Amino acid sequence: MSLSADTSVVRVAGLGKRYSSDGPPALFDVTFDVTEGELLAIVGPSGCGKTTLLRIMCGLLSPSEGAVLLDGGPVTRPSAKVAVVFQDYSRSLFPWLNVLRNVTFALARDRLSKAERIARAETALNEVGLDDVGRKYPWQLSGGMQQRVAIARALASRPEVVFLDEPFASVDALTRADLQDVLLAVHAAAENRRVTIVHVTHDVDEAVYLADRVLVLTPSPGTIAASIEVELPRPRTQTATRSSPRFLEVRNEVHDVIAQARR
Amino acid sequence: MSSRAFARTGGALLGVLVFAAALALWEAWARGADSFFFPPVSEIGREASDVWPSGDFLSATGASLKRLAAGYAIGAATAVSVGLAMGSSPHVRRTLGPTTEFMRALPVIAVVPIASVILEDADAMRVAVIAFGVFFPVLVATIDGVRAVPPEIRDTAALFRLGGLARSVRVYLPAALPTIFAGLRTALSMGLVLVVISEFTGEGDGLGVYIWTQRFLFNVHGMYAGILFLGLLGFVLNGLFSRLERHMLAWHYGAIGEPVR
Repeated sequence: MSLSADTSVVRVAGLGKRYSSDGPPALFDVTFDVTEGELLAIVGPSGCGKTTLLRIMCGLLSPSEGAVLLDGGPVTRPSAKVAVVFQDYSRSLFPWLNVLRNVTFALARDRLSKAERIARAETALNEVGLDDVGRKYPWQLSGGMQQRVAIARALASRPEVVFLDEPFASVDALTRADLQDVLLAVHAAAENRRVTIVHVTHDVDEAVYLADRVLVLTPSPGTIAASIEVELPRPRTQTATRSSPRFLEVRNEVHDVIAQARR
Repeated sequence: MSSRAFARTGGALLGVLVFAAALALWEAWARGADSFFFPPVSEIGREASDVWPSGDFLSATGASLKRLAAGYAIGAATAVSVGLAMGSSPHVRRTLGPTTEFMRALPVIAVVPIASVILEDADAMRVAVIAFGVFFPVLVATIDGVRAVPPEIRDTAALFRLGGLARSVRVYLPAALPTIFAGLRTALSMGLVLVVISEFTGEGDGLGVYIWTQRFLFNVHGMYAGILFLGLLGFVLNGLFSRLERHMLAWHYGAIGEPVR
């Protein structure tokens, strides 16, 4: 392994998951590290165990074998160090709270004054390009804006690792591009805070466009087929990056790995 | 006026007309039949205008409303608390399920004789009966509402590391509130029925006692005046409930795309 132990934030070791004793495992012997500050994409077709992997990594699900280590300690339940953005923003944001209170809710367990909570929430909303919507309700916003709120909510608690589970799968293509750039901007701005991002998606182009490294997960059993360094310069842009030869090279490589696993 | 607003006003007008026509039909029929048990509406109305403002009638109304409020509050608060616990924990659900299922199957009216034996104080008995009847629709609605909370909301609550109580009160309760309100509405009608039934056992005061007394005095007009008032009371209480619901669930109606009125 090329990564030294002291820079890895998340370590996934020999992870396996079975939902039933007789069926095939959803995950089998998954092992990888995530470096501090890295933007890692986990890509794979539907049913390859991406969501299972993410749920185990953030402590919502326990593995059948192996372990996930966060800062060296085993993950057995959700911790203050992680935040998650789900695909379905309309169900993960609380419709009975306005945008600002949705974001401050993430700080419920932190020992902060009300003013500090609001200030943090406003900073986070500002980071995702949302100003003056704090008093609106999530359902009064477009899908793209709601997902921005969900990202702001994840950032507000200042986690070490942000997990995103197919976060842009339910918005239109233009909004998706927009949100990808929001995520890149957040990651760039958060560089000094060394926020690590684990982004799960079935969109190969999105994975390559965003990530420092792409893990390819292939199904039955869910296992890691390849780890590909993207090595595209930052800052990235939808036009220049996506039309660069290196971009095409990496996306073809990912597609090849997935196609090979199908055979 | 937009055509939709026009249609709505027209619909409301039609509703009032149908109601007026029903009263007129009763009036005409009662005048023709000349039955002791079915006096014309106009006579009932005259009786009502005499009786309703009287001190006895008002204090009877006050007594009934007080019981309804107490029984409803006790029943609903208990049901929401137990329902939250049962809805969020399969363990609690398994433990309490058989008991509540059995008690729910019991016709509420059957509780009246039991309660009147256990609680000698007529007032306490009545409040208990109302609370018992209100409890079940609210309990069932709360359990259903909590169990229907979307998995994303559950996961989010888990990720915020809220304790069991905070999770129930700050996340599951508001998420289930639209369903709980449906139960509260059913419970309100149930409560009104139970005030009257529990008061039919005679002693003390209250609207049920008033109606029952008029029946024994063969004062059919007075009986009808009391019944008419109950109808009106139910109508007003339902209206107030709707306003409260619209206010409390404005976010819900907004989220499902219904205009907030």
